Amino acid sequence: MSIELKDVSYTYSKGTPFERQALNNVSVSIDKGEIVAIIGHTGSGKSTFVQHLNALLKPDKGMIIIDEVDATGKTSDAKAARHRVGMVFQYPEHQLFAETVEEDIAFGPRNKGFSEDEVAVQVKEAMRFVGLDYDTYAKRSPFQLSGGQMRRVAVAGVVALNPDYLVLDEPSAGLDPASRLRVFREILELHKTRKIAIVIVTHSMDEAAEYANRLLVINKGQLLYDGKPEEIFKEHSAELRQVGLDMPQVYNLGEKLKANGLNLKGDIMNTKALVKAICQAKGWKNAK
Amino acid sequence: MIKIENLKHYYKDIDGNEVKALDGVSLSIAEGEFVAVIGANGSGKSTLARHLNGLLVPTEGKVTVNDMDTMDEDRTWDIRQSVGMVFQNPDNQIVAAIVEEDVAFGMENIGVPSAEIRPRVDKALAAVGMSDYAKHAPHLLSGGQKQRVAIAGILGLEPKCIVLDEPTAMLDPQGRQEIVATVKSLNKEKNITIVYITHYMEEALQADRVVVMGAGKIQFMGTPKEVFCRVEELEKLGLEAPIAAKVASELRKCGAKLPKDIITEEELAKALCQ
Repeated sequence: MSIELKDVSYTYSKGTPFERQALNNVSVSIDKGEIVAIIGHTGSGKSTFVQHLNALLKPDKGMIIIDEVDATGKTSDAKAARHRVGMVFQYPEHQLFAETVEEDIAFGPRNKGFSEDEVAVQVKEAMRFVGLDYDTYAKRSPFQLSGGQMRRVAVAGVVALNPDYLVLDEPSAGLDPASRLRVFREILELHKTRKIAIVIVTHSMDEAAEYANRLLVINKGQLLYDGKPEEIFKEHSAELRQVGLDMPQVYNLGEKLKANGLNLKGDIMNTKALVKAICQAKGWKNAK
Repeated sequence: MIKIENLKHYYKDIDGNEVKALDGVSLSIAEGEFVAVIGANGSGKSTLARHLNGLLVPTEGKVTVNDMDTMDEDRTWDIRQSVGMVFQNPDNQIVAAIVEEDVAFGMENIGVPSAEIRPRVDKALAAVGMSDYAKHAPHLLSGGQKQRVAIAGILGLEPKCIVLDEPTAMLDPQGRQEIVATVKSLNKEKNITIVYITHYMEEALQADRVVVMGAGKIQFMGTPKEVFCRVEELEKLGLEAPIAAKVASELRKCGAKLPKDIITEEELAKALCQ
């Protein structure tokens, strides 16, 4: 079970003066069960890349294979394969439209041909997943919820499609720190219980380091690095800065402390690890 | 420069329930000040920002800009010229096909004589470090560059104050650094008053004063030091402290004796590495 991109190239506005190659010969395979973070500066091709994962954009060159089916085809198999990839776009709350939360979430599964009973089950499940109480929110208008809640409704609408792969383009942009944490906690929970693949585009190096077990770095339409976040951040810090990215904040802080003479051990990619390393270095008892 | 007195902004949602977006906010912003506003989603930050140049007007209370009341419709254009706004998404703020034309657009709109526009465009682009891109097409720029063009468009109007509503939310790390550096230099070198709304605490650290919003009210405010050492209160409001303050707070839980007011990485390094 995987999504495979083989030598994918894509050019916007082909044949016009605005022609621009957004992806250049990208090959990658994403397996069910992975959590993949995608980073790259604005305009690097990240969003174009993820829109190929469900063949929303069709490559000029190369192939998209979802679960061994050529996903760009017109067959019903190809269509079914594309449907197994759920896509949450940037600012998905702008795409809410129905009168009630329940109706909005039900739209996708109903469209996909689920029976009414199935739709009801999926909607309830999806709302539970994103932490919206059914009795409280189902009949309310999505437009009177807070920004964070609206985003969760939008995510629920995709979760209700029961995808095998869930792609999220900057799911935490514009959210406050507590809502960001909540969104990620829910995504991880979904990954754990349904064993689906998660692909997250993010501008936050800290999120990439904290949540992903694989990191793809995209630059100028090409795959620059593909590997474990801690390894890429550790081995390629200078190159990442050169392409407009950065290290996670806690990594930078750890490095600064080391430069000031503190003897910190291990790869420090999250706050917990940093606190632990400092406690060790200073001989303090680590409470947690 | 800006005076907000007991500002309330209520509106009715589609079920007819009254929503109190702002519920009694009082705040004075001095000329040349750099004020950061932080708060959870729905805390009233953006509603507050939109009152500063009359995009919204108070349900109750009063907002004045250089003694001009935002309720006074005759002064609306003077107020908007004094207080410029920059929003989250740079793509929504760019109108022209060439950078310098985009910067000139606002000036043409308010009737700046054409002989004056040229030098003002050049000055504005220089101030945001985008002079080399004057003839470029905006849609081929990076997010940080586009946002700087949007700021240049505001600068051309020669405002006394710029309000930025989450200007870095859609930008990559480098773009964010560009915007923060640009805003800081406008504040320090051109003495432009800055009101900067953000969800990134590290950015708020750069301000002279931090205002913490919650439930339509100012919960507390002060210098970054005064605000960001209140780690637990910030977390209760759905916010977080900058990383150094967070780490210091965790270390204290492990029994470390650290000064209470650590908020920057330098301060943490100093405390740990003496």
